[in-house]
Amino acid sequence: MANGSPTAPGISFPRQTFAKLTPGPFLHAHLKQQEPIRASGRSPEDFRKPNINTGSLTHSNGSAVVRVGDTAIVCGVRAEILLASDIPHPPRDDLHEDDLVEDLGLLVPNLELSTGCSPAHLPGSAPGTLAQSLSYRILSLINASNLVRPSDLAVLYTEPQTEDDTPAEEASKVTKAYWTLYIDILCIALDGNPFDAAWAAVIAALQNTLLPKAWWDPDREAVLCSPLAADARQLQLNDVPIASTFAVFSTASPLKRRNEFDSWILADPDSFEEDLCKESLTIVVASKKASCGGILRLEKTGGSVIGKVSMQQCVRMAEDRWSEWKAVMGG
Amino acid sequence: MQADRRRINAPSGGTAPPIFATPKDTPLRRPTRTRKPDEHRKLFLRTGVVPSASGSAYYEIPLQSPQQPELLVPSSSSLKITCSVHGPRPLPRNAAFSPNLLLTTHVKFAPFATRNRRGYMRDAGERDLGMHLETALRGVIIGERWPKSGCEVVITVLEGEEDGWWGDAGGQEGGRAGGWGMMGVLAGCITVASAALVDAGIDCVDMVSGGVAALVQDGQDGTKVGGEAKIILDPSPSEHQNIRAGCVVGYLQSRDEVTEMWMKGDAGTQVEALVDEAVKAASLTRTVLAEAVREAMGLKMGKASEEATGGLKEDKGKKKDVVMTG
Repeated sequence: MANGSPTAPGISFPRQTFAKLTPGPFLHAHLKQQEPIRASGRSPEDFRKPNINTGSLTHSNGSAVVRVGDTAIVCGVRAEILLASDIPHPPRDDLHEDDLVEDLGLLVPNLELSTGCSPAHLPGSAPGTLAQSLSYRILSLINASNLVRPSDLAVLYTEPQTEDDTPAEEASKVTKAYWTLYIDILCIALDGNPFDAAWAAVIAALQNTLLPKAWWDPDREAVLCSPLAADARQLQLNDVPIASTFAVFSTASPLKRRNEFDSWILADPDSFEEDLCKESLTIVVASKKASCGGILRLEKTGGSVIGKVSMQQCVRMAEDRWSEWKAVMGG
Repeated sequence: MQADRRRINAPSGGTAPPIFATPKDTPLRRPTRTRKPDEHRKLFLRTGVVPSASGSAYYEIPLQSPQQPELLVPSSSSLKITCSVHGPRPLPRNAAFSPNLLLTTHVKFAPFATRNRRGYMRDAGERDLGMHLETALRGVIIGERWPKSGCEVVITVLEGEEDGWWGDAGGQEGGRAGGWGMMGVLAGCITVASAALVDAGIDCVDMVSGGVAALVQDGQDGTKVGGEAKIILDPSPSEHQNIRAGCVVGYLQSRDEVTEMWMKGDAGTQVEALVDEAVKAASLTRTVLAEAVREAMGLKMGKASEEATGGLKEDKGKKKDVVMTG
């Protein structure tokens, strides 16, 4: 001070105080150590351990509750009938089978965040940008990954032969209706990274879905279903893709020089870290087939820190995470 | 149905729930009540399910009667409610001065909560439940301690009770007045909101618990006529053919006060007996509530004392103290 007294001893506060007052420097102080560690105690490559519980909802055809750390998401799948005669614009005949599900809109996902899952998401308002964009990302990923075969969702009817047909002619099979799956995803608790958990909940719920046996009744002109469980069939998914999200924490600032910054890639960010990171990367990994490497989607937004080398590291981490999720889901 | 621009909508043709044909060989068995008239179903209550909220709780009444496993259609459902409390928070700057805590309640059924799929917009029934819940909680919160503050109580019903047995013709109505499932849901909402308020540390006069009772007049062998009227507590609406009246109360046991009462139907001369039975049901749920809250507090105290002595032995990653410079 003014009269040359020795510098005052450092003041120490509990961790929560620093986390609230200066979250950026707090996280930076953790990461810049010899062994980088995050504020929650995880290392930057550690994902949180997932926990899945399926089939707990009685009124859904399929359901799953996924818990990743403190983020908890419930997904319920409901099947309803869409009559082919009600479709205003029937699909073109030359439409590829893989595009039929997308064209008719047979899988309808919706993610609801305004359930009081965190103080920022209180109910009473329409879905905000985050909820809308997450719903849309899930929809586009469902369409891109061709999870469900349209033949699994179609209700066929073999038209009886009339007098005009020759006996040798095959009876024609007409699709009279389609099953529409409403995938309702509710976020019960949010602690960062809702996309990964929501996507895993969708996959687990679809795997758990039971569709009743349905047939077209020509007298009533309606689709009837059998309530017996023995007649119902489990929905088979073509593949089990898994999403992994990474966030980048960087100390770049407009006040410093352009290449004078440190950055760390954090796997599976929680909400404290998400608020501090601008750049994020989502990798969706599917099973390796003969020709393709197994990466279904790569989305990177918010910055340019991740380059080719770090991208390869992240892809490797995402593939390990895929094996971990597959083991939890039971193959 | 109007297309909701902010959500992904159903296919434009419109869909309908599946129609089930009556099975030829398997008879449909109506569930019956096997408990005594004053016996409550087993409850499950836990607090602290949403760590980012000030307080939270999860309430569940698991499936009681054995389901018919050969049927895909469930004969009755469990009750699953989750509640999170955010507050006390400062009111927005442009809000008028309020000398008491401004309580806002919000009840929403999930789309997969009932036999027929519900939409995402709140309808009149849910707003009504929210009003009843607010009445129940307002009587127990000490509002003067929190001026210029607001508290949000958000309830999501993951699975709701039904109004009647689905196999009945017009089973969705289940009796003259109908809507019995909502009464059971309200009783659960009061209990779970009370647990969440305690978890959030909001000052309350006592713990309010919800109880529901009904006056039923079931005939023999599944008919509606005959049979004597009897009062039961904690009704499961799918077990009865003819529910004449029902009553939900929010009850403070140590002060013997009722903060909220909702009665529906025609109870005739037995109005007081019905209310007494509902109060008895509330006392039974209060024992579960007190136990759950005590357990949660024990855990919290244990964690707080551990942190105070500086020994966090969590194996999911030790939080190390760091030196902050600058």
